[in-house]
Parts: sequence; structure tokens; C-alpha cells
Amino acid sequence: MNTTAFQHGNAKRIRIHVLPTKRFKTFAISLYAGIPLAEDTVTPTALTPFVLRRGTVTYPETRQFREQLEQMYGAGFGFDVYKRGNYQMVHFRMDTINDSFVKSQESLLASSFAFLGEVVTRPVLEDGRFRSSYVQAEKENVRKKLESIVNDKIRYASERCIEEMCRNEPYRLHALGQRQDLEKITPESLHDGYRKWLSEASMDLYVVGDTTLEEVEKLVNAHFDLGSESGITYKTETPVRQSGEPRTVVEKMEVSQGKLNLGMRTSITYGDDHYAAALMYNGILGGYPHSKLFMNVREKASLAYYCSSRYDGHKGIGTIQSGIEVQNYEKALDIIKRQLEEMRSGRITDLEMSQTKAMIRNLLLEIEDSAFEMIAYDFNRQFSGKDRSREELLQQVEDIQAADVQAAASTFDLDTIYFLKGQKEE
Amino acid sequence: MEKLQYDNLQETLYYEVMDNGLHVYVLPKPGFQKTYATFATKYGSVDNHFRVEGQDEISVPDGIAHFLEHKMFEEPEGDIFATFASHGASANAFTSFDQTVYLFSATEHIHENLETLVNFVQNPYFTDQNVDKEKGIIGQEINMYQDNADWRVYFGLIEAMYKIHPVHIDIAGTVESISTITKETLYTCYNAFYHPSNMLLFVVGGVKPEEVFDLVRANQAKKDYPPQGKIERIFESETVGVAEKRRVNKLQVSMPKCLFGFKEKEVGLTGKELLKRDLTTKVMLDLLFGSSTELYQKLYDEDLISDSFSHEYSSSPQYAFSAAGGDTRDPDQLLARIREEVDGILASGFKEEDFERARKKKIGGYLRMLNSPENIAHEFTRYQFRGGDFFSVIQLYESITLSDVNNRLKEHVDWEQLAVSVVVNP
Repeated sequence: MNTTAFQHGNAKRIRIHVLPTKRFKTFAISLYAGIPLAEDTVTPTALTPFVLRRGTVTYPETRQFREQLEQMYGAGFGFDVYKRGNYQMVHFRMDTINDSFVKSQESLLASSFAFLGEVVTRPVLEDGRFRSSYVQAEKENVRKKLESIVNDKIRYASERCIEEMCRNEPYRLHALGQRQDLEKITPESLHDGYRKWLSEASMDLYVVGDTTLEEVEKLVNAHFDLGSESGITYKTETPVRQSGEPRTVVEKMEVSQGKLNLGMRTSITYGDDHYAAALMYNGILGGYPHSKLFMNVREKASLAYYCSSRYDGHKGIGTIQSGIEVQNYEKALDIIKRQLEEMRSGRITDLEMSQTKAMIRNLLLEIEDSAFEMIAYDFNRQFSGKDRSREELLQQVEDIQAADVQAAASTFDLDTIYFLKGQKEE
Repeated sequence: MEKLQYDNLQETLYYEVMDNGLHVYVLPKPGFQKTYATFATKYGSVDNHFRVEGQDEISVPDGIAHFLEHKMFEEPEGDIFATFASHGASANAFTSFDQTVYLFSATEHIHENLETLVNFVQNPYFTDQNVDKEKGIIGQEINMYQDNADWRVYFGLIEAMYKIHPVHIDIAGTVESISTITKETLYTCYNAFYHPSNMLLFVVGGVKPEEVFDLVRANQAKKDYPPQGKIERIFESETVGVAEKRRVNKLQVSMPKCLFGFKEKEVGLTGKELLKRDLTTKVMLDLLFGSSTELYQKLYDEDLISDSFSHEYSSSPQYAFSAAGGDTRDPDQLLARIREEVDGILASGFKEEDFERARKKKIGGYLRMLNSPENIAHEFTRYQFRGGDFFSVIQLYESITLSDVNNRLKEHVDWEQLAVSVVVNP
């Protein structure tokens, strides 16, 4: 594998990571800003980027702001707010055409930094606080987003399962915050919160494209209005363990298909030496169409269209999700539990091992073809403090034996069974 | 092997037509780890009434193209996902209105995976038992979509527009329609539409073109395909006007969903003409409903639309329509305001500078899309089946004028052709 490595530097209080390459037609830019997930900051922090994207000092009106992006050959600009481990991340992204493909007068990389720097550090203000019309409209927007989660039943069930499972920790909070907290937010309080966030958040800025570390450092120094105070440091926490019997939660709603979600806890996290074994565990259990869950719940029993598992190494949880007929609840749960038992007792075939290794290997090799995937992998290293290259992880996966997977299985404890079912059926 | 050079895009495309009529295209991406291949047949959910030259005319059950797609993955020796997994390939398939596409993505064992892809699609294996088993799985897939408000509002719009053309029939069919599918009807459809002359293989990534052509040539030479007559797809004539003005569906949602669009009056365009109309319409819709427009910002400020507001244009030689909308607190008020604002624009037309910016944005978006092997393969195939050239998009955008877009606006936005679909709470 001819892995190209990121070059690392610093500008203002931002850690800079640059991968110079001519492989893509664009410059991919990512800015990660993280703070600890906490009840009193989660909602204002979530609202902040929505207000920032309404207007800046140079482009105070939202239309001017969006027209500027279109002028830059429709530069992609977006942001996400999500949870990673016990942190709340605000992640800005830009994707701009490399000038050599278009008849552009100016450097589109420089324009992108001028733009991103404005968005993050120079919002339009009135009387020293955020513009109140923007704050009002975006509070409404975030409220609608929180309320709309219920529209997508698959996502709703998956988030409800996590919420129930983590009901005694900050992780129960939704990344977009809490509806009831939106009310109290004022343009002043939000601006104060923003200034605090800007000085405290841990910041990593990535660029993949035809540029250099020096050029990016210069651009950040020129366009980001930031002090040099150091922000918080990401810390890894020991995962919460649950003792006792799994808890079952049933919820009713107007649906034609029932959603069955299971939540598990594991002590293995991203930084753990057994991380590769946990990846294999998830892959064999339900990560792929050859996995136990797909083969048994869908292919053999015809109970579902989808049945899969996911593993979140940053939080130390595993989840299983499926859509079934409500009357098949017992049958499906029974089959799923039997697969968990198979994993614990080490009934894993050589074929399952080799197929899963091949799939994980493919996933890790593919990262190289996508600028944003390479960025995401490197950021995991910064975030977790675990400096493990893709080559090392690949080798660790190759070396895993069935007994290692069985050992990993023993760390996955079923915690919560969540079932969303129709109103009518009893 | 023929070679097509696109200097402005820094891409080279290779192609060859096999003796049996199969079209094969290879786009090498030097430096890429991954290879992405699609094997597509020009056969989708709308092709439910047809005659193969020299054979009888036949009508088949709704949802059969999609059912066939599911069943192709089963081979006498078992599930084909397992074979792909052994070679580290991630495989999948999808069915749309007018095509069925089988695909894999892999970083290693490319030749084995290509052979697997071509062989499994060219080796149907249907039994009474495996056909019956699939009905349970697809039944759950249909139920899953029934609970999906975005899907329901989208299909509601097509149902409101089209009375006769099968584009208004759900791609997966209904639980009732698929219950009538047998292995015999599957073989009939397979034999009609999976002849190599109706199919296209596209390979993009870190491959050598000669090697791919050698492999496919040798593979096809081993198989015996007698020449097939022309496939006549029979579509009863569709009315010019919409089937109904407004379609209402009930589903538990946080806020009503409202989608509206115009049914195109003129059909029958193909190739470059169709493509040019598509691109012109897309620029026009962006100038009308894009997020940087005055209309968008006004409606957002009036709290009638949210970030979910979007627009698109779908077309084929037999049908074409626009669709715009999203979540709204008040569908009627939204529609009234849209009409008011759009009437104003109809009277004045678009401005030159706005047009130039919208075109720049489209060109940038197209170039950004070329970073993704998946998008290239899907779009190239889709364009090819309609007689258009995906790599000519930039020249076509450059050839569009402001008056083309203004004419398109007057032609397309005909209130008589408007249909509306809403999803509201029960």
C-alpha cells in the first residue's frame, strides 16, 4: 500500500494536517471542533454553526454568502454536528475545484480559506451580539430538525435505543441538543457561548489536494481570527459497564413495520489493543451480507429486509437493527440472540473469518481513494491519541484468530432491547 | 479497443463492443486503489409490457424487475455475496425506473471479482422455493418504504402526475402484485432483457484497459448467445395533463411534507436533445428554487420552508417532470406564495449575472462529482442508455444561453401542468 502521510503543523491555535496530492480534482478541507458533551452547552453549541452559516462580516446577508460559494464554481460547503465518544463535534467541510480545471482568475484554495475563516471567526454582529433575526430563524430550524427525527423510523428507533441505553450519561443527549433549551437562548447568550466555544474547542484542520503545509499555515494565519490560547485536550474515558439483565423498552407509533434495535456495551474502544478483534466481531456478527445476522434473519428465515450490526469504538457500544413484522418479534429476537450466543461460544467458521478479513481489508484500502475518508481516518488518530496507521491495523486484522474474536465477544454485553411497534397490534 | 480522450477533464475512456453486442467501457484512474464496476441492463420498473421481435406481446406483474434483481444473487451453490466476500469485494444492486444495475467495489482480486459479476448476472437460477422465500423479504422492503414519509410524498407526486405511464407504479410493486410472480415469469423477463446487447459493463479505477477487455472477451466467448431481435417496449399513450391536481397521504410526521412539480408536455426527446433539455431545466430550476435565490430566502424568512427544501428534474424519452418542496408548516400557504413569486419571475425572466453564477455552480458540481468512481459509473450508464454522452456535460453547459433558460422557464412552468403531493398526520 503506498500510503501518503499527512504533514502536521500548527497555525494560531489550530492543529494543521495537510496531504499534498494531485490525485483529486478538488481541494478537500475539513475543520473539526470538539468540546465535551454536556447538558448545558449541547444546545447552544449545536445552534452555533446554523447561525454562522447565515452571514459574516463580508457577506452579511445569507444570499450574499451563498452567492459567494456559487462564484467559487459552486464550492461545496457544509457542516455536521455529531457525537464522537463523549464529545460534541462541529465539523465544517469545504470541497473546492482545483483551479486548473476551470478558467478562474483567483486561487480557489485561498478563496476557500478566506471564506471558511470568515464563517468560523467573523460572524456578522449587531450591537456586539449575533443578529437576532438569524438566531430566531435558526432556533426554529433546529427545533424542526429535532422534531423531524421521528419521520425516519429507522433512524428514530436507532437513536431511541441509544438514548434509553445511555439514560444516565451525557451520551443520551442528541447531538443537536434539547428542544426545551432552545427557548431560553438569546442572541447575547448564544454569542457568549460561541466566544467560549471558539476559545475552548479542540480544533483540527485538514486539507487534501495540490498544496503544501506552508501554504495552508499561511492561509490560516491570514484568515482565521483566533487567539493562540490552547483549547481542551481530547481524553479517552473507560466505557460504562452495565450489570444485570438487559432492559426491554417497547414504544408504540403509527407504523406498518416494527423496528427491533439492540444495544450492547463493550470494554473495547478505538485505542484498545483488541480493537481489531472487535472489528472482526462486528463484521462476522452483522457488518456484511455474508454475516450471521443477514444470513439467518433475512436469508434463512425471511423475517426482514435488513438486519445488521454496527460497532462504535469511540463510545464502546455495539448495536443491532432490523425491520420486522410486529408479530415476528419473539421469533426474530430469538434468532438474533442465538447469533450472539454463537459468537460467545466461538462457533465461527474459517470461511467467516477469511471473508470478514477480506472485507475489512477492502474497506481500509479504499480509504486512500477518498480525500474525506483519509481525513476521517487521520482525525480518529488525533482524537483517540492512538497512533495506529492503516497498515498496522490491517496487519492486526490479518493476525486475528477465531479465539480472539470469541474473547472480544465476551466483552459485548446486551444492555437494551428496544422495539417500536404499530398502534393496532397487541 | 477504442480510445476517447477528454483533455479538459484529464480523463481517458476506452470502449469496445463484444461480438454478442455487450458494450464495455473502462475508465482507468491511475493512483486509485479501488476498482468499481457496474453491469447494467436497460430494464427497469417501467418495462412491464413488451414484445421481443418474433415473440408474443406480454404484460408482467408490477415490481418484477426489482424482484429479478433480488433473485439474481442466488446461485445453485449459494449466495453470491459470499463469493464476493471471499475476494474482499463489496457487492450490491439497485433497480430504478429504467435500469437494473449490479455492482461491486474492490481493491484486490479485480479479475476474479469481474468474472464473478459477469457470471452471476449471466446465470439465472430461479426455483419455486427460492422465489417464494423472497416474497417475505421484499414484502418487508415494501413495508419499510410505506413508513418512509419522503418516499411516500415523492411517489405521491408521480401518481398525481401520471395516470397511465408505469412510472407511477412503485419500483418494488405491492405485496399483492409480487405474490403473482413465478419462476416462469422471471425467466421470461430475464430472457428478454438480459441479453448482452441490452447491457453495459463499466469499469473504473486502478485497472489496465487491455486486461479488462481481454478478460471480458474471453468470458463472453465461452457463452452462447444467439442474436436477439429488437425489444419493443409498449407504453399506452399518457394524457398530456396531470392525473390529479393533488394527492394526499397520511403518515405520522412532525410537520407536513409538500412536494410540487410540473409535468412536461413534450415527450419523445432522445440523445443530445434530451440531455440539453435536462441541463437547461436544471439550471432554470436552480435559478428559481436554489438556496441563493430571493424566493428561497423570502420563504425561509417567512418560515414556510426549511433546509429540507430542494428541487430536482427527472426525465426519460417518455416522461419528464420537475419536483420541488420539503417540510412546511402550511402546504397551502407555501403553494400560494410560490405561485405569486414564480409569476413575478415569469414576467421578468432571469438576469444575466445570476445565470452565469448558476452555470458556474453546475460546472463545479459536475467536476466535483468526477472524484467519485461510483458517480461516474452510474451517471455514464444512465446517460448512455438514453443515448447521451456523460463526458459532454461541460460543453453542453457552456453552450446554454440565458435565452435558452428563459425560454425553458416559460415552457416548463405551466400552472395547468402542476401537481401537488402532501403527507400529513392521520
